[in-house]
Amino acid sequence: MDPSISPTQTSRRSSLYRRHSQLGAEFHRFGEAIAVHHYASDEATQAQSLGLADLSTLPRVGFKGAGTPAWAEQCGVHLPHQPNWASEQPDGTLVARLSSSELLMIGDYSGHSPLIDRLAAADRPERVYPLPRADSHSWLALCGSHAADTLAKVCAVDLRPQHFENGQIAQTSLAKINAIILRSDIGNLTNYAIFSDSSSVEYLWDSLLDAMAEHRGSPVGLEALANNR
Amino acid sequence: MTVDNRLPSPFGTLIDRSQTVEFSFEKKTISGYAGDTVASALAANNQWLLSRSFKYHRPRGVLTMAGQDANSMVQLPSDPNALADRIDISPGLKVMGQNYSGSLTRDRNAVLGLVSRFLPVAFYYKAFFKPRGMWQKWAPFFRHRAGLGRIDQNYQADYHDKQYQFYDVAVVGGGPAGLAAALAAADSGASVLLVDENVRLGGSLNYARNDAEGTQSGRVRDALVARVKANPKIVAMSEATCNGWFSDNWLPIICRKRLYKVRAKQTILCVGAIEQPAIFHNNDLPGVMLGSAAQRLIKLYAVRPGQSAVVLTGNNDGYAVALDLIDAGVEVKAIVDLRDAPVYDAIAEHVSSLGISVKVGHAVYAAKRNASRLHLGSVDVRKIVDRGHCATESETINCDTLCMSVGYTPTYQLICQAGGRLSYDDDSAMFTLSDCPENCYTAGSVNGYWHLEDVISDAERAAIIATQALDVDRREVPSAVVHQQTQSPNHPWPIFAHPKGCEFVDFDEDLQIADIVNATRDGYQHIQLVKRYSTCGMGPSQGRHSALATARLVADATQRTVAQTGVTTARPPFSAEHLAHSAGRSFYPARRSNMHYRHLESGAQMLQAGAWYRPAYYGQAPAREDCIQREVDNVRNNVGLIDVSTLGGIEVRGVDAGEFLNRFYTFGFLKQPVGRARYALLTNEAGVVIDDGVACRFDEQHYYVTATTGGADRVYQSMLKWNAQWRLDVDIANVTSAYAGVNIAGPNARKVLAKLCTDIDLSAAAFPYMGVREGTVAGIAARVIRVGFVGELGYEVHVPQHAGEALWDALINAGEDCAIAPFGVEAQRLLRLEKGHIIIGQDTDAMSNPTEVQMGWAVSKLKPFFVGGRTLQELGRLPLKRCLVGFVIDDPMAPIPLESHLVVDGDKMTGRVTSVNYSPTLGKPIGLAYVPPNCAETGGNFTIKSSGGVLVVATVVDLPFYDADNRRQEL
Repeated sequence: MDPSISPTQTSRRSSLYRRHSQLGAEFHRFGEAIAVHHYASDEATQAQSLGLADLSTLPRVGFKGAGTPAWAEQCGVHLPHQPNWASEQPDGTLVARLSSSELLMIGDYSGHSPLIDRLAAADRPERVYPLPRADSHSWLALCGSHAADTLAKVCAVDLRPQHFENGQIAQTSLAKINAIILRSDIGNLTNYAIFSDSSSVEYLWDSLLDAMAEHRGSPVGLEALANNR
Repeated sequence: MTVDNRLPSPFGTLIDRSQTVEFSFEKKTISGYAGDTVASALAANNQWLLSRSFKYHRPRGVLTMAGQDANSMVQLPSDPNALADRIDISPGLKVMGQNYSGSLTRDRNAVLGLVSRFLPVAFYYKAFFKPRGMWQKWAPFFRHRAGLGRIDQNYQADYHDKQYQFYDVAVVGGGPAGLAAALAAADSGASVLLVDENVRLGGSLNYARNDAEGTQSGRVRDALVARVKANPKIVAMSEATCNGWFSDNWLPIICRKRLYKVRAKQTILCVGAIEQPAIFHNNDLPGVMLGSAAQRLIKLYAVRPGQSAVVLTGNNDGYAVALDLIDAGVEVKAIVDLRDAPVYDAIAEHVSSLGISVKVGHAVYAAKRNASRLHLGSVDVRKIVDRGHCATESETINCDTLCMSVGYTPTYQLICQAGGRLSYDDDSAMFTLSDCPENCYTAGSVNGYWHLEDVISDAERAAIIATQALDVDRREVPSAVVHQQTQSPNHPWPIFAHPKGCEFVDFDEDLQIADIVNATRDGYQHIQLVKRYSTCGMGPSQGRHSALATARLVADATQRTVAQTGVTTARPPFSAEHLAHSAGRSFYPARRSNMHYRHLESGAQMLQAGAWYRPAYYGQAPAREDCIQREVDNVRNNVGLIDVSTLGGIEVRGVDAGEFLNRFYTFGFLKQPVGRARYALLTNEAGVVIDDGVACRFDEQHYYVTATTGGADRVYQSMLKWNAQWRLDVDIANVTSAYAGVNIAGPNARKVLAKLCTDIDLSAAAFPYMGVREGTVAGIAARVIRVGFVGELGYEVHVPQHAGEALWDALINAGEDCAIAPFGVEAQRLLRLEKGHIIIGQDTDAMSNPTEVQMGWAVSKLKPFFVGGRTLQELGRLPLKRCLVGFVIDDPMAPIPLESHLVVDGDKMTGRVTSVNYSPTLGKPIGLAYVPPNCAETGGNFTIKSSGGVLVVATVVDLPFYDADNRRQEL
């Protein structure tokens, strides 16, 4: 494991890194990215109850355009059959189908995604347009048994686990900003990946922590998520 | 002597005798128990006077003990009109009566009651609206006199929030019907929310008597509640009010400081019935209360309602009340039964065998005050000789308590909001409900079932129907429940007019029988008009205790049936709610660039542009002007750096990308060379300028278009809308947040940038003005655009958002030896003004077309079509009405006008200033202003009406003010 490092050692920085530092976060390198490894000594229990993690520096990319589905399949991507569902690829990358012709590809928590690397480098035919999702959208993970209760305070969609299946996607409003919410459980840990406007991430972070307070939720690092895999 | 009305256990299911709580009422310390409400604790201490009435300042006290009436309104430190029978006592709580002058017991304004006969219905309209305009003079007086509680203007809002919830079935009401419905629905496997406004589930089972022994209610209640609590499919929410019904079973439920926004597939409204008062002289005296109020006091709070009581009844429930009073040690002097031929049930039979005086076919004609004049002292009982009329012979019975049990109305509010129809059945003298919408049902006493077994059976039936609609229930729907009760609990006319009036129909508004009748005689015969003319039902209790009597009185006065008369509309909310519940937690989305904290660390004063935070200037607020001037000077003579991450960024890609922009913006884009940027002006269909930016062409099929900070989302949505019509082969993506951007500007800009950017030839020849390049800056992939909004050599550098801070740091470090300094929005505004660039939204308005803002050069005359083009063609045939011109003020002694100051010609307004500032470069104030075309000639003068009416002469000059041949930005 990489030793603890400063979040400013790379040009790619989460807008939240100061908040993480104030909470005593220890940063590690995950692939090319630097992200919070942990805040406290044992966050696994916290994650099981209610945790919020900032994964904004980890890899993800989007593609859209009429030619996207066929091209992606040619590149070996197993596409979800219908929009607003995601499917996990053999290398752990999640492919979220946001519309019939738009994909969001999300790396796993190691910071590596061979599929994303491969697609980013691949030749693209006409009508396949890359989208800078790694920068346009922040990526937060809200996990634990109280995650749905927390989301119920900021989102009008029924996201309870029994109604919102693993792999399902809601493109909706969260605390008055647009968001893509993807249920992506980590092992037995209920988890919601939240992608929203990156310039609003501090606002959303604070809003979610405020909503979490009732359930004693707190930020967790990637270690707590990875331990549940 | 202090009277202690507290009863021993087992009375008082809601109080905890182990916890004494002290609070104050009217600055006097009162002791109660945890679980007491303000009203019950006061009643236990024999304090029955709670407030003064709205109009006549009559003494008022406990009426319902159910939080349903305005008589119990008291003042809390930060909460006027709090319901004393709903508010729990807490240590140190300070409670005051309200709406009195002097003291609660000696209210000087009570004199108004003596002249009530001279204040007929609608006397405001009759007396104070003539001559025309007089009401404006009277209104402050009446509003001062008539107000109830006091608003705490220093109130600090506390934390309220909202939560969405979803259930298969929502059951509103936690009485026997609600409990049974919830259980039956849950048995089918449905998820059930059970909402009850009371502390303790069980509804009337907590206080009402269903058998002579007085044990059945508790037994049934405990059994039902135990099953509900054990059922994992049921979520029971107590102290929660369903405050409305909206389409598709959207239910706003208020519980403490949270508003739950509940979506239920099915709703069962088991909302019960509201007991009604009888109407007779002085029926509002403290000590006169509903029978159910007395039962609540006894059973829930262990409070004896008085020492001696009379029960006025029109049904058998009054006999149950009498039994409860006896159990509580109250001497029941008489039962006055309005019925001339009562049909007794087992309870009534039992009471009649106890030797209590029962006066069948009699009424309480009047209540009389005791010596204090603040409480009931006796009642005048008379034989009923005709409907609403009594014999002249009277019997006075001394008592301090009068309990009324004369009938009910279904709690129709939510049902009517849902579209249900309220009718009146003349036989039973009751309101009835029908026509509930799909997926919404009613059950229990709201359906007119009064016998406990009937209530439960009806609720179970409703639950089966509801769950069958969910397709989760295969049980057979039972047939409709047949009433076991043979006589209606409603007496058809418990209304007795008195020569001295004061028979209150509406306690909230102090409306008497004559007021209602006179409203019809004044020509307002429709029930809705009666309501508005008399204000009946418009008070805090919203007609809960007056709608039935009013309908009866209006029907009688207009020779119609009650069914024909109808009732007024019930609208949400069901009960008063705090604005904080609607507001909930405040969500103010804020957007920050990746460099935000670098600005703060550099001492920036931030401003908000829409949701974005932007640095206004760097330095202390008192030195604002100096800071801005210094930043301007540094850009003009050295090099400055500004964060432009907030600018909109839109990718337009595809075979038809050029064609799309050609149609969307006013300029031509088809022939725009790759590697070049072009100014992009946007008009709407009306030819009004609505945004601008630059379109950068990175390859044949790829444009990157910038938009204004405030206009980015609107431009993007407009692009999507238009292409939905045009169906061009193009992809449009809003990447505003994907890029952080800076503008490095000033004569030394190239020198600084060159230190970090080695893969782009930055020379003027290789990278001219309006060129665009892709490369790296400080090792970060970057789009570099040579533009000059501030009129100096400059480069916009756009990098991936998460690298914004690193880019900023690198440029600041690279420019250190040049004394690079950040500049803010204020300096940028001044710099662009010197350069004569307009800001959309500041120098344009909802009418501005390109020609009048001197942007005609940005409109292609050769294109067959662009949005707004046709309108501009038409406008081009018309004479200009105004022109945006540049101006200077040469008089050094003249005050500098402000934006939006008027351009005047004599006493006529002819235009306005849109931008103005002191230009350190020109050494004089400069600005932009709309002026009439005849004042737009270069060298001409016009007049600006400045602050304090000072007239300032401005001179029209050619734009730009600075570097007219653009040498500096094209260095």
